[in-house]
Amino acid sequence: MSQNIVSSKVEKRHMGLKASRNLSNTAIYLLLVAISIIWLVPFVCILLQSFRVESTHQVGYVIPHVWGLDNYKNLLNTDFPKWYLNTFIAAMATAVFQTIIVLCMSYTLSRFRFKLRKPLMRFMLILGMFPGMLTMIILYNVLKDLGMTQANSVPGLILVYIASSGMGYYVSKGFFDTIPKSLDEAARVDGATRLQVLMKIILPLAKPIVIYTILTAFMAPWGDYVFARYISFGTSSGKNVAVGLYDWLNHDQIDKCYTMFCAGGVLVALPVTILFMCLQKYYVEGVTGGAVKG
Amino acid sequence: MKKFLALLLTAMMALSVFSFAGASSLAGEYDVTIWVAQEIVETTKAQVEAFNQTNADGIKFNATIEAVSEADAATLMITDVEAGGDLYCFAQDQFARLVQAGALAKLGVAAADFVVNNNAAGVVAAAQSGDAIYAYPLTADNGYFMYYDKRVVSEDSIESLEAVIADCEAAQKYFAFEMQTSAWYLASFFFGTGCVSEWTTDADGEFISVTDTFNSPEGLIAVKGMKKLVDSPFHLSSSSGAEFSSGAGVVVTGTWDYNTVSGILGENMGVADLPSFEVDGKSYHIGSFNGCKLMGVKPQVDAYKAAALHRLAQYLTGEECQMDRFNKHAWGPSNTVAQASELVQANPGLSALLAQSPYSLPQGQIHGSWWDIAKVIGDDVKAAQDEAGLQAALDNYQNKIAALFTLSDEVKNGWTVIGTVNGTNWDTDFTMLKTNAIWQSTEAFAMEAGTEFKVRKGLSWDDNFPAENFKVETAGTYYVQFDEATGTVSLVAAE
Repeated sequence: MSQNIVSSKVEKRHMGLKASRNLSNTAIYLLLVAISIIWLVPFVCILLQSFRVESTHQVGYVIPHVWGLDNYKNLLNTDFPKWYLNTFIAAMATAVFQTIIVLCMSYTLSRFRFKLRKPLMRFMLILGMFPGMLTMIILYNVLKDLGMTQANSVPGLILVYIASSGMGYYVSKGFFDTIPKSLDEAARVDGATRLQVLMKIILPLAKPIVIYTILTAFMAPWGDYVFARYISFGTSSGKNVAVGLYDWLNHDQIDKCYTMFCAGGVLVALPVTILFMCLQKYYVEGVTGGAVKG
Repeated sequence: MKKFLALLLTAMMALSVFSFAGASSLAGEYDVTIWVAQEIVETTKAQVEAFNQTNADGIKFNATIEAVSEADAATLMITDVEAGGDLYCFAQDQFARLVQAGALAKLGVAAADFVVNNNAAGVVAAAQSGDAIYAYPLTADNGYFMYYDKRVVSEDSIESLEAVIADCEAAQKYFAFEMQTSAWYLASFFFGTGCVSEWTTDADGEFISVTDTFNSPEGLIAVKGMKKLVDSPFHLSSSSGAEFSSGAGVVVTGTWDYNTVSGILGENMGVADLPSFEVDGKSYHIGSFNGCKLMGVKPQVDAYKAAALHRLAQYLTGEECQMDRFNKHAWGPSNTVAQASELVQANPGLSALLAQSPYSLPQGQIHGSWWDIAKVIGDDVKAAQDEAGLQAALDNYQNKIAALFTLSDEVKNGWTVIGTVNGTNWDTDFTMLKTNAIWQSTEAFAMEAGTEFKVRKGLSWDDNFPAENFKVETAGTYYVQFDEATGTVSLVAAE
């Protein structure tokens, strides 16, 4: 009898725990849902506006009265494809070169011991504290002398984006440091060269960080406005998407280009969204993996 | 090697002789970059092509035409004048900055005559700094008027601000007039009561003085009228024609919104000049700015190219091309002949602008900081609780304007003669120089009996002598002398 009472009490307490956990979970999920709605609203609005064809200016409602793909078709008649291509070329090239440079740099600093290694790292840390914008004017003049401004802005921009990429080695060096050195040594004993160690041992193990590096290298030029604006100035064919689309928001253009601007925005977001969705798993590993040891 | 060098030099000499031989005319091909608004890129291409075909000088332009917003042109030009467009269009508020940056080539005598003879006076003033003209007027339609929804505002109401507000409130529709974020719109109330903010620039585009009467009894009337509007729950601080699709009944904006508004309202669209407001039983018609767009020529290294560019600029801003832009894009012409044409007169947007024009002031050169200083008035007026609050808004404004002119010590401590001297009317200061503690005017004035003047310090009225205006009793040619120690003003006959 008494045992029964005890067990039912335990049962009750157990139920109470579960209920309270359910309650707190519900509250947390409700909050999360609310936050994600707030976060998603602007994107949904832009997406919906890009399908609105009854007018081209800003309106006070979200759901289009007439749906269509006219805005996307009209984009083809502007310089938008050119801007898109410019941005894509710059972002791809930056992704490739920057990744190579960063990985080589990280590997070197993680595995090699040489004179000036520490001073070099410290020097780069200090150098990295200066905002890149400081160099804007001098960079512009140098690029202008090289003929890499205005209509030829793409090679100039690639140069700017990859110029200081060696200094962004921190996260991947941290990750490389977590890979046991004994692996390197074993491979060296078996006769592998340093390059082979990097390519065949380290990189396969460091897949998350490689992908993280590629992603961040791709993202910076994809959304860059300031440098692109400066270097492509006064020409339409040298702009990237950010600069080109922003110019449609000028007061003399916005009423004609607003829905087209939204369509352009959707197209800009597309590759980045797909990239992130596919590589999300590695991205999180990459960000946190490098944080273990610095 | 020497032989080769000699040959090369000879060849170059020969070439230079040829080029000089051909230089008597402007004939030749020129590569140029032209910056125009996105909207008129194709039109401009066709116009340059037409110029190439028709000009009598044998000039041929290989033009690269880039879409650059007129609102951005100055910022971009100043980034790197060298790499900027050879010909470029800009809104007139950027004029002074461009002159200061040396990004505009001064017009020669013939070109200046072309501008003066073919354009309305207010527009010419917009292209002028000091005595020189620096740009070619392109349009004269940068003003604003009232678009309204005929279902909201009745025809009987459009004359009166109070009635228009009442109609909007009754229909629960917004009255959009950009009072809180734009000095350009906000100044309209001040102009309505006769206030001015007139700035003068010297030949380098530097601002040297301002006559600003916003902080005055008239200015107080203006802010009282403005208060009526901003206090309405249905006032919206916006100037976008698209507001009609989101609950506006009235929008004050310009011709550029005509297609947008007529697209939304269709036959319910009404246009009119701005209404009048009433303060203390007196009615004041709201004024406006009347601005324009200009086309400038970048200073060139090659004098022939420069001359050819000026020819092209004159063609592009001439009657024919302005009418072309009016027909294709409804850009209001600045050319007086084009303005008078029946087609232009019949355009509803431009005719509303025309109806507003008696109350509008040409937008001359205005200090770049003014726009930010003045736009605060809108918020201040809205926040003001009483008349003292309104007055405080104006005082605040005036203090900031005064701070813009940090005069050089020389000017601040110097004395000048001002009055009805030399045909001026209390609007021009004549320099004085100090010798042996006595200030004397640098020139002698031919004065008639009854001529009045004062001397003042630092171009302001804080220190001035004599207490009552000095009156000339006997006509003659005099120097003005002033003893700072005793404050006595006297005349010295010129030999």
